[in-house]
Amino acid sequence: MLPNNDELIAQAKTEEAPLLPLLHKLHERDGYLSEHALRAVSKGLRIPIADLFGTITFYHHFAREEGGFEAPRVCTGPICSLRGAHDLVAGLEGATGMPCSGRCDEPIPVIRGGQTLVGMSVDALAVRETPAPPAKQGDYEECVFAHIRDADRKTLDGYRLTGGYAALERAVTSMTPEALIGLIDESGLAGRGGAGFPTGRKWRAVAEADGGPKTVVCNADEGEPGCFKDRALMDHDPHAVLEGMALACFATGAPRAFLYLRYEYPETEHLLSEAIAEAEAAGILGDDVFGTGTEIRIYMRRGAGAYICGEETSLLNSLEGEHPFPRNRPPYPVTHGYEGTPTAVNNVETLSSVPPIIVHGAEWYRNLGLGSHAGTKVISLSGDVARPGNYEVPIGLPLSTLIEEWAGGIPNGRTLKAVTMAGLSGGFLAGDDLDVTLDEPSIRSKGSFLGAGGVMVFDDSRDMIEISHMAMEFFAEESCGKCFPCRIGTQRLTERLAGKSGPEDLEAWLDEVNDLNTTMKETSACGLGQAAPLITESLLKYFPDAVQTHVAGD
Amino acid sequence: MSEPTGRTIVLDGDEVAFERGETLFQVAERHRKEIPTLCYDDRLEAFGGCRLCVVELEGARNPVASCTTKAEPGMRVTTKSGKLEMHRRVLLEMVVSENREVVVDELSGYASQEMKTLVDRYDAQTGRFAGKQSGVSHPDDPNPFILRDYDNCISCYRCVRVCAEQEGDYAISIMNRGFDTQITTEFGGLLKDSSCTFCGQCVQTCPTGALGDMKALRFAEVEKPVEKTRSICPYCGVGCAVDIMTKGDQVVGIQPAMDGPANEGALCVKGQFAFDFVHHPDRLKTPFVRDDHGQLVPASWDEALDKAASGLLEAVNEHGRHSLYAVASGRAPNEAGYTLQKLVRAGLGTSYIDNCSRA
Ligand SMILES: Cc1cc2nc3c(=O)[nH]c(=O)nc-3n(C[C@H](O)[C@H](O)[C@H](O)COP(=O)(O)O)c2cc1C
Ligand code: SF4
Ligand code: SF4
Ligand code: SF4
Ligand code: FES
Repeated sequence: MLPNNDELIAQAKTEEAPLLPLLHKLHERDGYLSEHALRAVSKGLRIPIADLFGTITFYHHFAREEGGFEAPRVCTGPICSLRGAHDLVAGLEGATGMPCSGRCDEPIPVIRGGQTLVGMSVDALAVRETPAPPAKQGDYEECVFAHIRDADRKTLDGYRLTGGYAALERAVTSMTPEALIGLIDESGLAGRGGAGFPTGRKWRAVAEADGGPKTVVCNADEGEPGCFKDRALMDHDPHAVLEGMALACFATGAPRAFLYLRYEYPETEHLLSEAIAEAEAAGILGDDVFGTGTEIRIYMRRGAGAYICGEETSLLNSLEGEHPFPRNRPPYPVTHGYEGTPTAVNNVETLSSVPPIIVHGAEWYRNLGLGSHAGTKVISLSGDVARPGNYEVPIGLPLSTLIEEWAGGIPNGRTLKAVTMAGLSGGFLAGDDLDVTLDEPSIRSKGSFLGAGGVMVFDDSRDMIEISHMAMEFFAEESCGKCFPCRIGTQRLTERLAGKSGPEDLEAWLDEVNDLNTTMKETSACGLGQAAPLITESLLKYFPDAVQTHVAGD
Repeated sequence: MSEPTGRTIVLDGDEVAFERGETLFQVAERHRKEIPTLCYDDRLEAFGGCRLCVVELEGARNPVASCTTKAEPGMRVTTKSGKLEMHRRVLLEMVVSENREVVVDELSGYASQEMKTLVDRYDAQTGRFAGKQSGVSHPDDPNPFILRDYDNCISCYRCVRVCAEQEGDYAISIMNRGFDTQITTEFGGLLKDSSCTFCGQCVQTCPTGALGDMKALRFAEVEKPVEKTRSICPYCGVGCAVDIMTKGDQVVGIQPAMDGPANEGALCVKGQFAFDFVHHPDRLKTPFVRDDHGQLVPASWDEALDKAASGLLEAVNEHGRHSLYAVASGRAPNEAGYTLQKLVRAGLGTSYIDNCSRA
């Protein structure tokens, strides 16, 4: 028999961060979130019902009508849209679209209940494993992908056979947290989730902060369109992510860690939950890590469809069961994070980089980068390239090497027109500016940024206005609604790119769009609203003729 | 200019002191900088949504919201510049573009003119940024007190925050996200089916009149100026300060006094909305006494007072002074309440006096 509300709520009350797991259980059990169930949750967890109702409506995937959980959701992200996702929506009964769901290197993904299918047409949908990274290219050593293609790497035994958990064992048995932080500092490792904050500094701030218990959060929300690297890391090397989290816990003194996973990766949740259980059974995680008495517990928490929940303070609110608006900073999570405790929030890729750094040393990692750059970065390459996929590049590699040599160039005899940077958040690079190297200084000098490393490639047949419109529509749909410039600005820019409203006179049109761009960039409360106008800004910079034609209505 | 020392910041070129925990906005406010705001209500936790309060902070990449940024020693802050004024005007043009109208009657609520005042100050009603409007009004919510005209909502969430932080009722919340954001009750229902107590605080903090005082708005068409008279709500012993709004001789509405020491802008449903009795047609305007058949008949004041006095004295003489107990009506003026207790204590010699709001 399925557990009833009271049983589920009683269990939830004993857990950390109980709201999301409880809602998922009810969602799956009933096929939607009923008023009856929500009222029970409100009472049981003492959350005002109006707040709970409002918060539920924030998330894309919580269904409020019977059968909603099982209704198919088709990825209508930029790449999938260009591949005909809208036909798939029309062809599948009861289907709706969803934002980029992180499988841009595959046929179009469709989520049905707890399962992901992929295919280009209704009849061709099939379950398929997440693609592993393509074979290693170039003569550069990899860090996080070095063993990812090894057989059985996913299992605990396979992982340990290739040196897995040696770093954690060494750290907890023979290193001090300070020494570990010092090593990460020296390695030059910086955040791979977008903001590029030095990881050693973040950990030190948490370790030295007053109050506790301290908390580590692995940010596996990966909502940025065109980014699918964390999925590959988690699906093909889950124990590396867990080992990185455990090392972060040891370094910061945190007895607990949360892995906040995006809704759109249902298979990953099972895989990681199993990996956690295996590691706990082996005494690698739990209350006695490698027999040292150190406690490190990892909890899986799954989001429910909201790009903004990848922003670390919004993520923390989501974990706590609050309305997932970003918080005002300062204070930062390193001093006031999960439930006010000092918290290190780190991206999956950042954490996966830590075990190899400990095994091979800081010097080794630093030298993986080209020139003065330290380390590597996984680039999720998608769109009009011969071999889309995740490539681990030395930081500083020319973009052209990646596209032309590693990924086989632009197929069908076409030429390169533009790429996006940081998924969508960095806007476009085109023309002479394609001559960049994959590192922040180079890309920032063009007014963009590398961020989480999603690069979508568009050939000369693509309509940049249409792509910009899709991009801005994404930001408008995902804007949380907290601050005026982003809430209204993303909407107004979307309307202008759709040709639906705005001045007909080019000069007045540009005047409005430029003002929106500037005010959004400089006054928005978080990275979403600050980055969204890079789309329009770069569109105006590289494709003024297309804009002119668009405004003229041709 | 000297280098700042100790707990000071440089504010528009002047070194000024600040208290621990003060925000840049609070410091600037004390120095009369008139930074515009729309999501700010000084009784609530700063939210940082409207971004009108942005100021330039030396060393920061972008302007910062002064309402959420705490002052730190040595900060150099500029509250007004061409760039900041440009942002503020554009932000105002943006919010104007999402609403049906900017001009709302001042009877809508205490803060209802805030947006219009800023729009005028920045000359921002320009028709720029035209597009879809946000918010869906609930003209069909049948409650007699609160207009829910969300076509004019700018998603500042002051209503939601005041309901939670000041009133503790959590009756309303935020639904959806981005431009589709909507103020809602549980499951989108009516206010009367929610935990709303109709205290009206959300109405009084709304800066656009999207939430309106429907009782006061009945008098919107009366073409006389609104006068406000400070008083104390008579309904109970808390002593909430109110401003009684009148047009000519007509009481048209009540607004809480934001500086009322007991209430700081709060009221309950009675103090806020229950004032119709003042001009009610059923209200007695002359005294009544019972005739020999026990029927109430109009009488002169002398007649009525004589009758009351003799009746009261009779009771005292026969049963002692503590045989009497007086209850003042919460709807009587404060002066009448005071006079009654004087009569009971000094005149009749008992302390058995109470008020209906307590008894
Ligand atoms: C709108 C927005 C979305 C974000 N989404 C993610 C995400 O999905 N995954 C992630 O790791 N970081 C994301 N970030 C960055 C996080 O806020 C944070 O910087 C990061 O998780 C820190 O980890 P790192 O230092 O290891 O990169 C996002 C930031 C913004 C502003
Ligand atoms: S910038 Fe956008 S996403 Fe970020 S707080 Fe403002 S409205 Fe929310
Ligand atoms: S009237 Fe009072 S209780 Fe009702 S929604 Fe407004 S603030 Fe909340
Ligand atoms: S109803 Fe008024 S107070 Fe509430 S969010 Fe809208 S504008 Fe702000
Ligand atoms: S008053 Fe500071 S953001 Fe609104």
